[in-house]
Amino acid sequence: MLASLAPLLVAASLRRPIDGLVALETAGAVATLTLVCLSVGLGQSIFFTVAIAAAVASWIGGLVFVRFLGRWT
Amino acid sequence: MHASDLAVDVLLGLGVAAELLCVAGVLVMRTTFDRLHYVGAATSVPAFLILAAALVREHLSAGGLQALAAVGLLFLLNPALLVATAQAARRIDEPDEP
Repeated sequence: MLASLAPLLVAASLRRPIDGLVALETAGAVATLTLVCLSVGLGQSIFFTVAIAAAVASWIGGLVFVRFLGRWT
Repeated sequence: MHASDLAVDVLLGLGVAAELLCVAGVLVMRTTFDRLHYVGAATSVPAFLILAAALVREHLSAGGLQALAAVGLLFLLNPALLVATAQAARRIDEPDEP
């Protein structure tokens, strides 16, 4: 799943801003699920906190980008 | 090999495959709105498959409950972000519309 972040980030940088945001939102979801898998694999329950923080942070970041894109383009 | 190990492998394999399918959809689809379908799909079916694998492994321990929280947040918060993104995309693509 980590490997799928690379084409998403390339798409995020090359496409129109709104399409780049769509790719960024997908990357946020993939990163969160990857962190859940890593937390289970490493057996450290404290790492799940990072996955929860990633879920919330990618959501808030997406909303901030949407706010700017909707207003200034 | 325990049955639970087999269940974890199968659920995780299906979850990762479904997630990669959603990523491919986001990369390949033509319009922004088509891509948004796949962003929504990325936080539903694959996320619950991966959560099921995590719960089979962790059961309802502290880790299992936090995995439940992380995937639950993804699933519940993402639709609001999708709707906001679709509205912004529509405002960008059709600025004359009211």
